[in-house]
Amino acid sequence: MSATPVVEVEGVSKWFGGVVAVSDVSFSIPVGVTALLGPNGAGKSTMLRMLCGLARPSKGTVRVLGRDPRTDVDVTALIGLAPQQESVFEPLTGRAFVRATAVLHGLPDPDAAAARALRTVELDPDDPRRLPTYSKGMRQRVKLAQAIVHEPQVIVLDEPLSGLDPRQRTQMVALFHRLGADGRCVIVTSHVLEEVERFGTNVLVMSKGRLAASGDFHEIRALMDDRPLRLRVRTDAAQRLGGVLVAAGVVVGVRVEEDGGLLVDTQDARRLAHELPRLARAEGARLYEIRPLDSDLEGVFRYLVER
Amino acid sequence: MTTTVDAPPRRRPAALATLRQLYTIVLRMQLTPLRTLAVAALGAIGILLGFLTGSDDDPVQATVEMIGGYGITVAIPLCILWLATSSVGDLIDDGLLVYLWLKPVARWQLPGASVLATGTVVLALVVVPLVVATLVAGTPELGLDALVACVLATLAYAGLFVALGLWLRRALWWGLAYLLVWENGVARASEGASRLSVGGYARSVLARLTDVELELGGRPLVLSLVVLVAVTIGGWLAATYRYRRAEIA
Repeated sequence: MSATPVVEVEGVSKWFGGVVAVSDVSFSIPVGVTALLGPNGAGKSTMLRMLCGLARPSKGTVRVLGRDPRTDVDVTALIGLAPQQESVFEPLTGRAFVRATAVLHGLPDPDAAAARALRTVELDPDDPRRLPTYSKGMRQRVKLAQAIVHEPQVIVLDEPLSGLDPRQRTQMVALFHRLGADGRCVIVTSHVLEEVERFGTNVLVMSKGRLAASGDFHEIRALMDDRPLRLRVRTDAAQRLGGVLVAAGVVVGVRVEEDGGLLVDTQDARRLAHELPRLARAEGARLYEIRPLDSDLEGVFRYLVER
Repeated sequence: MTTTVDAPPRRRPAALATLRQLYTIVLRMQLTPLRTLAVAALGAIGILLGFLTGSDDDPVQATVEMIGGYGITVAIPLCILWLATSSVGDLIDDGLLVYLWLKPVARWQLPGASVLATGTVVLALVVVPLVVATLVAGTPELGLDALVACVLATLAYAGLFVALGLWLRRALWWGLAYLLVWENGVARASEGASRLSVGGYARSVLARLTDVELELGGRPLVLSLVVLVAVTIGGWLAATYRYRRAEIA
């Protein structure tokens, strides 16, 4: 990320009592779409709250457009946030909600601005229903509308695709790219790896409060794909089978567990799937269960952190 | 040294427009059907009591005692406690404060809007019925005095309880403890403690303006006016101080 940074985070940590939510994180974000990726509980939302000035870093500094978003009220005019929580102002309609945001930003024609923002996210500005009657997808879009109604320089979206159908997701991703191409800094969080690929090339990966990786999505994806896959094999001949798997070069590591289970690490899951039954048959070993471990996103992030 | 994209200058919105918007939002959040009905019911009880005091041998004394004893001691503080602690408290609990905090609006405005919104509801649904009670009691000469004392009490309690809602968790319970234990217990038993009773100063204003003696109503008029205004402003400032430093979830 060599372009001029819009957001700069330097040595930021955040702890709540004895719990460390974010630990010594530094990065900068330029104009365009940047994805902040990480499993639930990785510290993404806490990081976003600090970027928006909603929370004070316990240590380190956050600068948005060169200013401190925590103490400089005026910089909030340049930030739009769609938070993760689903709660909404129950007595308001979608238009009244977005209009209120427009008024609080001092827009000259808040009504027209609200209607425009709602149309941008494909909601009907004349919908007379109150917000509690909206579906989850509609609530997501109305939150997005209030985040962009004042045309901010920095747009922060916390899990914005949650609850949207595939067509709406495509529309929203296209909108993020339009906003990025328009010279805005769009920061989008997600815990879904496949989703991030569509956001763009700039990626920050957080895990357990730390920055696990940052840079080009495809490079990070390649790193993720390189990690060994761990499986647990339940068999009646763990030691023997482990030995032949190593000898055949199908696995890069084996370990026999106390209960007789066999843990194997492989770089080539496809080959293992092909060779394991053949080798087991040749050794006269029975296979009861083959279960991949660590194949969830959490495991991928853990690998990135430990690598 | 890195270069950062500079923030383009933007003008802050007009303070009055944003205050009005915040006031509208807080007011609409406060006026749930349950709250509106309950607060209006307490106001209606005031009117019913007015009918009773009107038939008393000394309707002036009885009506002033009703305004001081029921209105200023029970109805106004309880309604304000409920509305004020929930005005910002509900926004915090529901995770909605984020939508108001992240705006180029001076931090004093939301606590200010909460005080005003709380005051508006109680003024319309409790204070006005108390003034009506003076009319149905056949003591219209008490109307203006009751209005002044009740409005001052309303604003002072609103400032105090909005601040309480921002400073303390379970503010409703702390507020109830203050009203029941302090104002209606300790303050009545001890002259020194009564100096820290908002209700005592409001009753003093009512007593001095109407020339009717009331329990805990013996403080000088000017001192009472100053204290009630100071509590209003002090509560609002304390709430602003806390809001400015709040971590928003």
